[in-house]
Amino acid sequence: MTVTILILQFFLVLAAAPATVGIVRKIKARFQNRRGARITLPYWSLLSLLRKEMTITRHSSWVFRIVPFVVFGSALALAALIPSFAVGILAASMSNIFLVGAVAALGSAFLVFGGMDTGSTFGNMGSSREMTIASLIEPAVYVSLASLATLSGSWSLDGIALFFAASKWVEIILPASLTLVALVFVLLAENARYPVDNPATHLELTMVHEAMVLEYSGPYLAMLEYASWIKLTAMLMLVMNLVAPWGILTSPFALGATLIALVAFAIKLGVGAFVIAFIESTIVKMRFYRMQEYMSLALIVALGGLAISLVSIAV
Amino acid sequence: MTIQSLTQRIGIAGKDFVLVPRDDLHRHAEVCVEAGAPLMFMYATEEANGFVVHVVFSAEDGFLTLKAELPRDDPTYPSLTRSIMAAHWYERLMHDQFGIVAEGHPDWRRLIHHENIPEGTHPLRKDFAWNTKLPHANVPYPMHAVTGKGIYEVPVGPIHAGIIEPGHFRFNVRGERILTLEGKLFFKHKGVEKLVEGKTPEEAFPFIERISGDMVAGHALAFAEAVEAASGVAISARAKHLRVLWSELERATAHVFDMGNMGGNGTGFTFMAAQGFRMVEDMRRLYQSLVGHRFLRGAIVLGGAHDISEGDVEKIRAVIDDIERDMKKVLAIAYGSDGLMERFETTGILSLEAAKAYGARGTPARASGVTLDIRTGHPYAAYKELGVSVVTEKGGDVAARFKVRDRELTESFRLIREVLRTLPKGEAKTNSNFKQGSALGAVESWRGAIIDWVRLDAEGRIDRCAISDPSFCNWSLFGELAPGNIVPDFPLCNKSLNLSYSGTDL
Repeated sequence: MTVTILILQFFLVLAAAPATVGIVRKIKARFQNRRGARITLPYWSLLSLLRKEMTITRHSSWVFRIVPFVVFGSALALAALIPSFAVGILAASMSNIFLVGAVAALGSAFLVFGGMDTGSTFGNMGSSREMTIASLIEPAVYVSLASLATLSGSWSLDGIALFFAASKWVEIILPASLTLVALVFVLLAENARYPVDNPATHLELTMVHEAMVLEYSGPYLAMLEYASWIKLTAMLMLVMNLVAPWGILTSPFALGATLIALVAFAIKLGVGAFVIAFIESTIVKMRFYRMQEYMSLALIVALGGLAISLVSIAV
Repeated sequence: MTIQSLTQRIGIAGKDFVLVPRDDLHRHAEVCVEAGAPLMFMYATEEANGFVVHVVFSAEDGFLTLKAELPRDDPTYPSLTRSIMAAHWYERLMHDQFGIVAEGHPDWRRLIHHENIPEGTHPLRKDFAWNTKLPHANVPYPMHAVTGKGIYEVPVGPIHAGIIEPGHFRFNVRGERILTLEGKLFFKHKGVEKLVEGKTPEEAFPFIERISGDMVAGHALAFAEAVEAASGVAISARAKHLRVLWSELERATAHVFDMGNMGGNGTGFTFMAAQGFRMVEDMRRLYQSLVGHRFLRGAIVLGGAHDISEGDVEKIRAVIDDIERDMKKVLAIAYGSDGLMERFETTGILSLEAAKAYGARGTPARASGVTLDIRTGHPYAAYKELGVSVVTEKGGDVAARFKVRDRELTESFRLIREVLRTLPKGEAKTNSNFKQGSALGAVESWRGAIIDWVRLDAEGRIDRCAISDPSFCNWSLFGELAPGNIVPDFPLCNKSLNLSYSGTDL
């Protein structure tokens, strides 16, 4: 049974990922008084990219060609490991926070290699910026995960989500509040969103994520784009499941509960997408040299969250 | 400083066109600039026995032009650039066009000619046919490079990620910090100055309107003013007011666009772009209904301007009332956003000294404290009667350029309403006969001053038409304002200047 649920969760994230991006774009357009493209547009974008020819520069090596597979593989692993739809399933024991962190980092690192491999200026510029951002946000990532582990007494994301789902919301939300805020900071920075990166930029000089994938085309580009959408969806659902741990599927897995969990998944995804769109519509992208202030703030909030967690388990 | 006191200082009698020996040109030019009359324009002409270099200065009561004759077998003169920076591109341009050599110019590379143009090609000479097919050459064009540990060259363009015209930018960076920035433009030279030769002003007019797509009224008006002055044509009071109307509508549209673009696409504050572009679209539709062209082609005509009816007056009022109200709301949100102002402030600072030295024009110049505005400095159309308050700021950064646009927009709306209220009765177009003569025409387009010099021959056809576009003067400002900034802030600097590739490459 758990295998079925795991497969269901895996494909649910994969199926929902383009919609997440579509919803964010749609809501952003509405915020600007524009009608916006259909939510289903990203699905069609993927299909049209898959049908397109690939142009690969002869200045690239084998690294360039394996990058899409590693990045996409890392995203698939995240879709399976991160508790977005159900907790207590087969992958539970594998969702150790360091393992998940490492899997995510593997994808990021290879994306950076892909950006550098062709030797083009923009790819290297994007890679250099990505590494700067990644190394600055890293402390906040692990401190906030550690504080969640402290709070729940589990080193796996599955255990953490299970603990949140099983606890009374009013009792858990206060000690976890700062950590959750820090996780939102991390979510935005890790997924190339405002105020760190502009996912819609057409300006080659300001790009981070887009600069690294600039040389990719056709199916490879589809894989990289899809991977980034999956990562965003999985991480967004993780945060949503901690902030609002209702309706997540727990054992025993009954049909009624599964249907409720599906509805909860959709609602949480919609709310999460709205929050991202709201943030991106109301703030300005930060000047690159002020990024360390954002990252420091994320770390300080995460440390505060850790302190609260330690105090709350002590009393 | 008036023209008379300038000529007295130089020590040569004359009115507004003064002939000086070529070896003294640079000394006399220095006297003018030091006396506070900035160098505005340089152009060359071909005469029966050689060439003439013209240098235009802006005096209090008009333009003073110093002329120097150069013999055909030795077309050289001492370079002005050695002491007057503003001459640097003009002298290179005159070399490409006519083969005139400014001796001692510090950067004697080609300007509008690309690598594939053979040496010794001087297309503005009369013996060069406009449709000459040139063989492909490969003349090197070395770009400035900085060397040292950890220094990278970042080439950008000429093909860009957006739908914009071609321009190549070479950054020398250390990390994200810009050390130097050099532009290479002129990829799509249109040769307007050559193409209009031999044409009547009416035949030439469509070429002039197409010099830069978003400043149609500006270029058309400068050309019309020059042609009319050359043949002594006087236009009606109604036409003068209508010319102000169309010019200010064009300015308002451009400023709304620019403010939306700076906030929206420059920093990623997307709602500003969405709202700004929506308002620009409303204005363009208004122009379509008024003159039949979204970018105001046909609004300015030789001998007058496109006329409007009583109903049109109400239509214009309704649209600008809406835009002014909506723009106020957008600007209130913009100024209230700390994140946005933080991106604007201290970014891309252009010092007053640099603005003056480079002969900067328009909003970038006024945002650095330069007070020159042709509308008040050398009034044309009905600007003298209507009165204009010149907007300046001190900061010289992106924020200052944003504020100048904001305040100029308010002034434009005031002028538009004033014209609509006081529009004199009469004909909007005078039937005119253009005859032999030459004259300068200068206007303040929304990008800055445009100065045209036109000479008509005995048949009323154009013998030479020299055009000075504000983008031509402002492109090299990037070399001044970009260093010290970081690469991701360059697009914002670029949008705050919003120069025309096409206008430069006329």
